[in-house]
Amino acid sequence: MHISHNIIRVTLGLFVGGLISAFLGYWFAEGALREKVAETRMRQGTIRAMALADLVHAEQSRTEKDKQTPGALIQFWQQRHQDIDAVRVMRLSGARLLASSFSDDLENGTPPRRLKRSEKAIYDMGQLLRANVDTNREEGNPREPEVMGGELANGRLRVAVPWFTAKSPDKAAGFVQLEISPTIQTKDPAFQPVLVLALVPALLFFFGSLILGRVVKLEHPESVVWSSMTTAVLLLIFGLLGFGNYYLIDLGQENVRFQQELAELYTATRTSAEEGAAEFNLDYQIGFSNDWDVNEFRQPLRFISFDGELYIGVGTAQDSVANRLGMAFFACSLLAVALLVFFGLGGAARLWRTIVDYREAYVYTLPAMIGMLVLVFFPFSYGIALSFTDQTLYNTEKPLLDIWAGLSNYIEIIGDFNLIQTTEAGWSFNYENFYWTLFITVAWTVVNVTIGVSVGLVLALLLNNKNLKFKAVYRGLLILPWAVPSYVTALIWKGMFNREFGPINHTLGILGLEPIAWFDSVFTSFLTGITVNGWLSFPFMMVICLGGLQSISADMYEAARLDGANRWQQFRYITLPSLKPTLIPAIILSVVWTFNMFNVIYLVSGGQPGGSNEILITKAYKLAFQDYRYGYSAAYSTVIFMILLIYGVFQTKVSRAMESNS
Amino acid sequence: MIHNRIKRSLLLAALACCMSAPLAATELVVWHAYRGAEKEAFQAVVDQFSKQSDGITVKTLAVPYDAYADKITAAVPRGKGPDVFIFAQDRLGGWIEAGNTVEPIDFYVDDEMRARFLDRTLDALTYRDIVYGLPLNFKCIALIYNKKMIDAPPKTSSELVALAKKHTNAAAGQYGLAYSYSDFFFHAALMNGFGGGVFAPGPKPTLNRAENVKSIELILKWYKQDGIVPAEPSTALITSLFNKGKAAMIFNGPWFLGEIDSSIDYALAPLPTLDEAGGTPMKPWMTIEGVYVSAPSKNKDEAFDLVNYLTSLEAGKVMALQGRQLPANKAVYAIDEVKKDPVMQAFVAQSKVAVPMPNLAEMSMFWSPATTAMNTIIRGTATPKAALDKAQVQVEKAVAKLRKQ
Repeated sequence: MHISHNIIRVTLGLFVGGLISAFLGYWFAEGALREKVAETRMRQGTIRAMALADLVHAEQSRTEKDKQTPGALIQFWQQRHQDIDAVRVMRLSGARLLASSFSDDLENGTPPRRLKRSEKAIYDMGQLLRANVDTNREEGNPREPEVMGGELANGRLRVAVPWFTAKSPDKAAGFVQLEISPTIQTKDPAFQPVLVLALVPALLFFFGSLILGRVVKLEHPESVVWSSMTTAVLLLIFGLLGFGNYYLIDLGQENVRFQQELAELYTATRTSAEEGAAEFNLDYQIGFSNDWDVNEFRQPLRFISFDGELYIGVGTAQDSVANRLGMAFFACSLLAVALLVFFGLGGAARLWRTIVDYREAYVYTLPAMIGMLVLVFFPFSYGIALSFTDQTLYNTEKPLLDIWAGLSNYIEIIGDFNLIQTTEAGWSFNYENFYWTLFITVAWTVVNVTIGVSVGLVLALLLNNKNLKFKAVYRGLLILPWAVPSYVTALIWKGMFNREFGPINHTLGILGLEPIAWFDSVFTSFLTGITVNGWLSFPFMMVICLGGLQSISADMYEAARLDGANRWQQFRYITLPSLKPTLIPAIILSVVWTFNMFNVIYLVSGGQPGGSNEILITKAYKLAFQDYRYGYSAAYSTVIFMILLIYGVFQTKVSRAMESNS
Repeated sequence: MIHNRIKRSLLLAALACCMSAPLAATELVVWHAYRGAEKEAFQAVVDQFSKQSDGITVKTLAVPYDAYADKITAAVPRGKGPDVFIFAQDRLGGWIEAGNTVEPIDFYVDDEMRARFLDRTLDALTYRDIVYGLPLNFKCIALIYNKKMIDAPPKTSSELVALAKKHTNAAAGQYGLAYSYSDFFFHAALMNGFGGGVFAPGPKPTLNRAENVKSIELILKWYKQDGIVPAEPSTALITSLFNKGKAAMIFNGPWFLGEIDSSIDYALAPLPTLDEAGGTPMKPWMTIEGVYVSAPSKNKDEAFDLVNYLTSLEAGKVMALQGRQLPANKAVYAIDEVKKDPVMQAFVAQSKVAVPMPNLAEMSMFWSPATTAMNTIIRGTATPKAALDKAQVQVEKAVAKLRKQ
């Protein structure tokens, strides 16, 4: 029996696409569930710790003569809650350990006592919590965690929350730390849907098309390809929908179960806190709001009411974990469809054949490809990913997905048209604006390339004169600016433009002119950059032109002379057209170099005055290393890349058109 | 379970390490950016520490200053850095916010240790009320005058202006007073004298507060009405004026002393008080070199011992006498040889009213707008209030964008 290639390809595509997306999807689903479990476990610890911190607060706020150490209190707390393994209460003032049931602490001496030198970490944690509370309060915008903790290797969890005294209610006095074995345990989601997604669409398609192939004979193989492709895509989409919904519903159900368990736990904690307050005769009233179930910034989560009821809508409310899982499923689906199309339309087969046919070539280029991957593509893609985040100095440790900001950086850069500022003193350009910097960059590039090409060409024409003596000496001297490292040249020129001591202003003085403060106005500051870059760039153009000139055959000039052409005509109709093939690539390169000429701007004018002479690349640098806005700066760099990409495509088109004309 | 076992074996290994410490010496690595005499003095102090402490050897690495801060930023958080490093406080805030760079040492610092240092020097190394380093040396500007021209240094700003006027002859390029007044680092002396500042409380920019405006109005008066200071006061100009005997008085720091020509007979005095601000002294910004324990260091206890020793009287003495530095340990200034040194005594007297420069990461956003503002004010294209308002808006914007989540 003959099975067409087409059916095999599509089946393979369905299988590979389904398998890879199923495994990826399972991995995401498992991660989402694990994250949910970790969050819930943390909340369990937090409720217990926050409640105890309230009791410690009441106990420590008593008048001096009633005050005891909270040793008995933590013993009571631990007895009432089987999940708690150890408790520690520390006070910052005097670096004291007030009470503890951690075995390490007890080995170092019975609390209450001062912390030992080896227990610095305990003190540091207290100070950090205190500083975080202060920072969040002062900035009015929480960014530092006020509940700290994490999973231990042995399946337990540690949670620390600050406690406060009545005397200074917003200054953390110390912390309460629990080691707890939370009742909620991690469990893996069901694995069967993975197998279903990987196998069912592929098998259905395979046998379906075999049966159909028997029954219906189609005349046009072309339409067979398309119809079977459409069927396969639909099958895959149905499979993916079922797969995604299964895990999303599962996660939602688990979430509701977790909330119910937490609500029960909260109620029990509340009861024991009331009993504790009575037993230790504390002046403490539990309020009519649930302030114990909080996020890491100690902001109440408001899922559970003060009397332990779940708020309506908890079950249906989309939370961030589920949202992210949905997004991940969507991405997986796109990948699966792409794989299916790739296999189904024969792309995979062709790729495989190419790799097999040219295997030596691929082996030879492998090291270079790996190098490119690691050194070019990875940093490049990381930069692009960074440009969609809000990363700054303060959140470098957070994963990129947590600080995802979408297109907001790009909108801020490209969508900001406040080019002109009006103040009481009148109007002025807003030098911070992207379009101003773009204008300066374009002006800078155009002027520089023009100067470089014309000076280089003129010098090359002069040097190409056969009657010129000591040609080698002149050529050597003229190439020198190119040989000196550009930052040395830039710094020398910066000195030359100095207001009081620069030779340029001295020369002006000798000529009876006023000295100029070169870096104080936009135009003169721009001129300094042009001068320096002109100095740096003409030797390259000169060398290129000289090479081009020497390759022009002397016969052509001779023939032109015989025909009576004058010097200008010779230049216009022989020299320039013959130089074009060498000159145009050089100009293309030079535009890109000048566009991103960091050294000259940074070292000579530094973008003075007021950032007006910044070009895009120096601006991106300042955004990253002076303003510490890494994400925004990455977006800025990506915009620069896009501009150069558009220029490159346009330039290739133009030069190709010119080539075909000539 | 497995983790537990690893932990336990690590503990055992650590125990074994402690027990065999005299055999296998702990090696501490210190990074600094000293050169010349300062480097030699520092090396001498470090050697002394190695000799005194059993089982600790210290290796120093002098990093070129230009690359130093970036090297710390890049290497330390990844655990490739030293155990101890030295840097001025200006980068501290950024390193703390970035995390895993500087170890808090608040726990080790008791009241006795706090009392060891010159006033407010420890504040420079304190961030959000946590001590992150101990002050090693300080630098601040003071009044340096040409003894041939000035007999007694001025005590008040009125005396300063009167004396400077006497020595000013703008036509001959001679000025009574010269300092980089358009540079905010130097201007801070006036600004703080008026009770101004650039950030408070915390990272909230307050560039355009009334005190700052007043302080700039005073320097404008000195420049425009009194005419006692030169236009465009670059550091090179000030050096040349002072060395040619064309500036009677300058405000400058200890780094300048090496540049003074041997023909100039100079002396130092604290900056005068400000009559315009009700007789409060001028309060220059002080930079403090702190010694920090790096957060990923594996030998933090030993590292702190070294930090402690480097800031002790014994070490301070060597660094003051051999390295010609200004230790932040105040007992150093009671040593006879230091007591006799007029330069050191002048700077330490100045430090009594100096204010540490803020150690906030946001300082890097302040310099550029502030410099632009100062330049426009001096050029006369904007009033102090308007220029500072503009700078304030810029800094506020930059800070807000950084702090938002």
